[in-house]
Amino acid sequence: MLELNNQYTLIKRRVQTEVLKRFFDGTLDKDADKIPFIIIPKDRIPNRCCIYKERAMIRYRIMALLGIDIERFDDELKPLTEYVKEALAEDKPPVPILTTISTACSACPPDQYLISDACRGCFARPCLANCPRDAINFVHGQAHIMEERCVRCGKCMEVCPFHAVVHIPVPCEEACPVGAIKKNEDGYVEIDHKMCISCGRCAMSCPFGAIVERSGLFPVVKMLVGATPVTAMIAPSIEGQFPGTLGQIKEALLQVGFAKVVEVSKGAEVTARNEASELQKRKEGGEGWMTTSCCPAYLEIGNKHLQYLKEKRSESKTPMGYTAEICKKEDPGNLTVFIGPCLAKKVEAARDVNVDGVITFSELASLFIAKGVDVREMQTADLGDTHSFEDCRGFAISNGVANSVLYRYKGPQVKVLPVNGVDKKMFRLMKAWEKHAPEADIVEVMCCEGGCIAGPGTVVKPAVAMKLRGGDKASTPVKSMSK
Amino acid sequence: MNKREKIVVKICVGTACFVQGGADLLLYNDFLDPSVLACCVIEGSSCLDMCKRNTNEKDQNNKPPFISINGKIYGGVNQDRFCKLLAEAVNA
Repeated sequence: MLELNNQYTLIKRRVQTEVLKRFFDGTLDKDADKIPFIIIPKDRIPNRCCIYKERAMIRYRIMALLGIDIERFDDELKPLTEYVKEALAEDKPPVPILTTISTACSACPPDQYLISDACRGCFARPCLANCPRDAINFVHGQAHIMEERCVRCGKCMEVCPFHAVVHIPVPCEEACPVGAIKKNEDGYVEIDHKMCISCGRCAMSCPFGAIVERSGLFPVVKMLVGATPVTAMIAPSIEGQFPGTLGQIKEALLQVGFAKVVEVSKGAEVTARNEASELQKRKEGGEGWMTTSCCPAYLEIGNKHLQYLKEKRSESKTPMGYTAEICKKEDPGNLTVFIGPCLAKKVEAARDVNVDGVITFSELASLFIAKGVDVREMQTADLGDTHSFEDCRGFAISNGVANSVLYRYKGPQVKVLPVNGVDKKMFRLMKAWEKHAPEADIVEVMCCEGGCIAGPGTVVKPAVAMKLRGGDKASTPVKSMSK
Repeated sequence: MNKREKIVVKICVGTACFVQGGADLLLYNDFLDPSVLACCVIEGSSCLDMCKRNTNEKDQNNKPPFISINGKIYGGVNQDRFCKLLAEAVNA
């Protein structure tokens, strides 16, 4: 997985900000085609082959931001302004969430192990001795891997004392836990949407930015300038993503046009309560293990791959589901927007009538910049009585859900197994659980390593977010870091 | 410069800087050379107002995130540049 802050994330933020600024001053439908030229001026030293390709990529990023399914609806002759008019006139269907930009794809060669010139052709030759397939021979005194025999086990890399063996992966393929990434006959990336669980790992891994999320930002900013009041539902992981406390973030959200702000931790409390009583029922009835149900990418694993998990996962709704229910009951006239770190939440939201829109923290960050709202300078808005669900803010971090469930659980002693991130290996293990039950009563599944604070829509690295969470630490970010 | 006088470093933690790479600099305890760190006082700062200026893109000093070292403002600071700038200031 790529580091969060790199050229690509910075340019993405820039694109979002420039588009939003023009949206709010009403010039986007006239000026959209100028944005690639403003972001990539002609005297820029390009990171890709040339500035013209970079501009073309900016164009695609703007299309993704407008919610266009680039894979299917890329019309190179159509100006961006036309796409903008479409997006302003009507909301695009949100699924599939991920789409690919084939011209950005570098068509990486298949996953391979290579022996570099660092090989000293040593006497012990551990690579030769440890290769299970006799795939190593020596040419001119250096080790060499016979491609047709190699099974890519990586043993040679582990044992080489000179670190001469390099593993060159295909980042997107390697990141996808369910094998939904394919290459077409020309070697360019394609997503098998029937298999994709929308976890976003591929999009976070591709160093060329060839896999992008179709943003849900436009439907939401249209709501914000519309007449109907909008309720923001903020995911527990929002704390630490911005330089301000939860109260300040709430105030900032009110400033950018939301009418009301509700913490999703409130709904998480209902989830935790329901899961606790379900756990007790299952434990006492001897029905075997169960899993949590709040990670939407995990729900997709059950829906699309491991059907048996549908029986195993808790029947309670996700925190977003309950929160949206509460919001619609309190203010039936309001629209509801979920703001979180997650791409798969958009899939879940598309099925939930109570949720009208989803944006990520990263998009919210651009919204703040475009509106000139500085979270740090905000007054502290009153969060209301949060006492009953304060512990549920921990839903954002691996182990947090299980902790909140156990806190509300009153039955006999249970064993917890946290699944901290679902990669290929973890997915295989989960498959095996169908026949060999895991040694646990409750399995907490989070598809992102570390929990939601490491999600694909986050702004800061998990290490920073962790330090800034809790109390008013985020109001003095630098001081809080040294503690 | 008097060696005992500490260098005052301010990291802009206005929202625009924070979300455009500034948050990374907050991990200075993990990536900064301890001998350099010992000579600096690192503080957070409100928006330095640099981001609101309409400026020439080519100069990296005009891009967020911004920091100030003894009052002088630098832009486009990533972890690597942060280390270099501070080391320069300490050894000056």
